[in-house]
Amino acid sequence: MSAGLSIGIPTGTLLADSCALITQAGVAPLDAASFAQVLRAQMGTHEFFRIRPTDVPTYVGMGACDIGIVGKDVLWETEQEVYELVDLGFGPCRLVLAAPRNSQMAQGAWPKGLRVGTKYPSATRRFLDEQGVPAELLKLHGSVELAPLTGLVDAVTDLTVTGRTLAANDLVEVTEINRSTARLIVNQASLKTRFEIVMSVVSALRDAVAAQVHAAP
Amino acid sequence: MLKRDAARLARTRRRAAGFRDVLPGAAEQRRQLSDAFLDTFSLWGYGLISTPIVESLDTIAAGVDSEELDRLFRFMDADGRMLALVGERTVSVARVVATELRDGPFPLRLCYSGPVLRNQPLLGGRRREALQAGCELIGSDHLGADAECIALAADAVRAAGIANVQIDIGHAAFLPGLIAGAGLDDVASGAIHDALTARDLVAVENALDGTPMEQAERSLVLRFPALRGGREILDVARAGVVAPGALQALDQLSDLWELLVAHDVADAVHIDLGAVRDWHYYTGPTFELFSGDVGFPIGSGGRYDGLFRHFGIDLSATGFVLLIDRCQDTLGEVTPGSQTNGYERVSSNGSVAGAIATAREQRSRGVRAVWNFDA
Repeated sequence: MSAGLSIGIPTGTLLADSCALITQAGVAPLDAASFAQVLRAQMGTHEFFRIRPTDVPTYVGMGACDIGIVGKDVLWETEQEVYELVDLGFGPCRLVLAAPRNSQMAQGAWPKGLRVGTKYPSATRRFLDEQGVPAELLKLHGSVELAPLTGLVDAVTDLTVTGRTLAANDLVEVTEINRSTARLIVNQASLKTRFEIVMSVVSALRDAVAAQVHAAP
Repeated sequence: MLKRDAARLARTRRRAAGFRDVLPGAAEQRRQLSDAFLDTFSLWGYGLISTPIVESLDTIAAGVDSEELDRLFRFMDADGRMLALVGERTVSVARVVATELRDGPFPLRLCYSGPVLRNQPLLGGRRREALQAGCELIGSDHLGADAECIALAADAVRAAGIANVQIDIGHAAFLPGLIAGAGLDDVASGAIHDALTARDLVAVENALDGTPMEQAERSLVLRFPALRGGREILDVARAGVVAPGALQALDQLSDLWELLVAHDVADAVHIDLGAVRDWHYYTGPTFELFSGDVGFPIGSGGRYDGLFRHFGIDLSATGFVLLIDRCQDTLGEVTPGSQTNGYERVSSNGSVAGAIATAREQRSRGVRAVWNFDA
């Protein structure tokens, strides 16, 4: 067991902000541009791993990483028993239910036998169950905006930041399902067996997030 | 080979997903772990019990929530009754105690070892079969019973050669007691409860927002991942607590600590007031065992005074389970097949009968031996 932690950093849109926060918190000087070129980097006592976002909960849940950064949207879809300790604030987006602009659904009339395409089946299923809507879910892996245009489904759920992709495909938001930001997650055993060092990194990141919030206009 | 035959061959060779084969060497190590646990349980006065791998779904439903029921292999027998492969064995032991062993003498000390199965999704490297050994101490609400289970679990894993064992003890009435004592409505307390169960501090913060929970107790709940330390954490917590349920939990843990000192295991024990466990099931002190780099608890247990009511009998009980597969993970790799080669080969050298007799004689002295009939 090394003295430092193994820390999972997500590739993609959260990478730059994750590196910036790690650096700002004084955990390690992690430069996004050079880290993006490698899969692992030893920085001081800590070792950083660059991991596909949907895999971060698995690495942390199974104990391959002690802690990790991941979007809440990924956590909706996983069943790993990890501790979720800090809302890191960056990477905000919303999961929305959207339908074609000229559809009944866009006017608020949800059809019977609703078919919904989504990359987020768990979060969507939870939402529809809460609404008491017995919809049929279609798990899709990309460009879900396409599905209603081809008549494959009546509506889709998808992440949106600006709403531009939805609008470009003539889709309108029917309702918001949930909101996501980046989160700090911790392996359940690491929190107990490496308590001091885990909590020191958690505190440093929490303080850095608080400082950013206060610095914002 | 025809393409059709190749496809059939591939299917024939495929192992069922979520299961694994344990090869010679590793399987021997697993058996040794199980035997070492049962030997320690026996030394502490626990009687071995064997229950079926199958239980009726109605029996299992008495001790397991619906989400957990969904994760069982379920099927119907020839009479149309719903059955399931057991996902844990405490409920089975409880059924036996409530029926064939209902006359005691109490407290009853029972132990078991056997496979359990879960029909869970395979995401994240989960396995569907696990070997578990456990103890149940039934018919006493004395804290001595809780202390005994913790000390016994620690003794068993150490006797089996597992190093760096750490025990975290908590109490099922502490966090729920804080919430119950805060006078919140069902929706608010339910939301906090759910967030804690999900180990989601961000959601706990959101759920506490706008509730009238008193400041000192609120900050204790918000500190749940870090409400952890030695004996002193009980005094730190007590300073802010007024909720009677939570105070009683602190008193019990304080008394329990003294007993663990007497059992000489307190060195390895931390108190984790924020421990997240199944609070519908557990009713008193709870504990988890960790070791080294393994990312999961290697064992867990606690007091479950409510279970027997579902079986029509009022009995206090506490117990624990050791997860043999995870315990084995702490011991490091065993070279597959290493033990299969470790035996004496007795060659005939002209006398078949002599070689067979020699091998037999060696076995009688406890030496692994075969007659090397090829040579």
